[in-house]
Amino acid sequence: MTSLTGIFSRKELKNEGKVFEPKPYSNPYVVGFGLGLVLLSAFLIMGRGLGASGAVSTVVAVGMEKIAPEHAAKNNFYKEYLGDGTTNPLKDWLLFEVIGVVVGGFISGSLAHRIKRTTEKGPNVSVRTRLIYAFVGGSIMGFGAKLARGCTSGLALTGGSLLSLGGWAFMLSVFGGGYAVAYFIRRQWL
Amino acid sequence: MMPYFKFDYFGFDFSLVVAFIIGIGFGFALERGGFGNARILAAQFYFYNMRVLKVMFTAIVTAMLGLFYFSWIGWLDLSLVYIGDTYILPQIIGGLILGIGFVIGGYCPGTSFVSASAGRTDGIIFILGIIFGVFVFGEMFPLLEEFYNSTNMGRVTLPDFLGLSHGMVVFLVVAMALGAFAAAEWGEKVLSKKSGRGVE
Amino acid sequence: MKEWFLKLSTSKKLAITAALLGVIAMFIGNPSNDNKIYVNAKEMALSTVKNQDKIEVITLADWLIKEKSDFTLVDLRSEKEYSEYNIPTSVNIKIENLLGSDLMRNEKIILYGVDDIASAQAWFVLKSSNYKGVYILKGGMNGWKKEVLFPTLAVNATPEQSSAFEKLKQISLHFGGTPQLASEGQTTTATITVKPNVQSLPKLTVPAGGKAVKKKKEGC
Repeated sequence: MTSLTGIFSRKELKNEGKVFEPKPYSNPYVVGFGLGLVLLSAFLIMGRGLGASGAVSTVVAVGMEKIAPEHAAKNNFYKEYLGDGTTNPLKDWLLFEVIGVVVGGFISGSLAHRIKRTTEKGPNVSVRTRLIYAFVGGSIMGFGAKLARGCTSGLALTGGSLLSLGGWAFMLSVFGGGYAVAYFIRRQWL
Repeated sequence: MMPYFKFDYFGFDFSLVVAFIIGIGFGFALERGGFGNARILAAQFYFYNMRVLKVMFTAIVTAMLGLFYFSWIGWLDLSLVYIGDTYILPQIIGGLILGIGFVIGGYCPGTSFVSASAGRTDGIIFILGIIFGVFVFGEMFPLLEEFYNSTNMGRVTLPDFLGLSHGMVVFLVVAMALGAFAAAEWGEKVLSKKSGRGVE
Repeated sequence: MKEWFLKLSTSKKLAITAALLGVIAMFIGNPSNDNKIYVNAKEMALSTVKNQDKIEVITLADWLIKEKSDFTLVDLRSEKEYSEYNIPTSVNIKIENLLGSDLMRNEKIILYGVDDIASAQAWFVLKSSNYKGVYILKGGMNGWKKEVLFPTLAVNATPEQSSAFEKLKQISLHFGGTPQLASEGQTTTATITVKPNVQSLPKLTVPAGGKAVKKKKEGC
């Protein structure tokens, strides 16, 4: 049971008698500065920004090719991620980057004692409901990200700092869409 | 000259190593920011914790200023940095859909990976959701293709679009970000007094 | 001033720095002149003289048969010409779009046009913008047609020439060409290669524009 006021799981951990308390999250501006430097180094070294959803597309496209090769070959969307067959589609920049993200998240979480098997949810919903919402939300997001050609990292963050028109239009729409429906699903979070 | 990769300082295989290292930095920063936690991310949409806005805009401002000044000094060839084409309608509609998914699911693709690696079950389920969503999009692609490729405006940037100098737009973005930060700080204070739901 | 700055919280320091850089940026205006090019004239002249940057059509044909893929083949001709016939694996990029295309500075690029003129110009454009591996297909499409698609064997060929032609024939057939013997009295190449019969051009296996897509390199 999550306590009503605690956004952090500090109390829960104490109750379970753990020795380490999770540290509070860092100053958002300092984190943002750090994130900006990571993004900048991607620009300077690679000439491209960050991303996340592209890695999922690659995996889905490769999966489809394994299951139904003819079907995948007919689809322009999958083809874009499979390539012309001259290179292994899994040798993909974004895929390796995302593997790094998983590792980096784990390192940071371990250092701050924030690694924990749990489900993040508001106090008024069951774990089951929350997981259903997570799946539905993820599906909607996967669809939207592909339609927009990018996600929050690939389009809003990267396109935003490159001052791309599409990136900014996308970013404002994300916030717009979010705020428009936030009221209706407040039970999940508040 | 930067970007190094485009000037052949290293090959494709090494670029994957770079990808992994940059990814570690990315994941580390996201976790530090609390983005492995769906409640913090969702809080953005209920105004009681504006971390998403703060981290995201600080990152954008930092990288934007870096790009501007590196290019001004002459270390970076900005024209070689990849900027995706603008497809204005699909991107606006896609953004709205993604925003809805964000509030319902609690993550965006990048943060869900961090959340999964920090052991959050909802993060793992969310990733499965994304895979399913991409699959649905892929299967529907023949129907969507026309819309997906519509309103292509090419490589447009805000300076091109607004007819302002690059530096002017940089200044406006910085000013807007600082204004948003001030408003966010003020708003959080007011809301936490009211509801006792403050976060920091 | 310095003390005052140091006493501020980290967030405020960041904010002030950003504001300052933002204001300066406004006065700088545009950070770079995008039209600036760098020309190493000597290196360029040398490589032109030494013919290092030329690739024979037969060499290219050989690479394509072996499915070598460490290069990008660029067709500089018009869309119409490209859709009628193009060398397998090529991409159609017009000369004015070269710099904005997906071509990478560190990849091997082989250019061809109708003949050598467009590719020589494109070669200069790319070289002066710091593209490293730019090559010209010698003879362009005309050369390809003459040597690969419609090779001809002279009537009075020596046995060596004939055996070499047999090899050429295999290559030609691979690309759907029609190797032929020159009839007597006919100047060996002129009629066929300069004004090739469009019907006899090999049919494109992939519909124009729907070429095998290269793996998405950048973007989400």
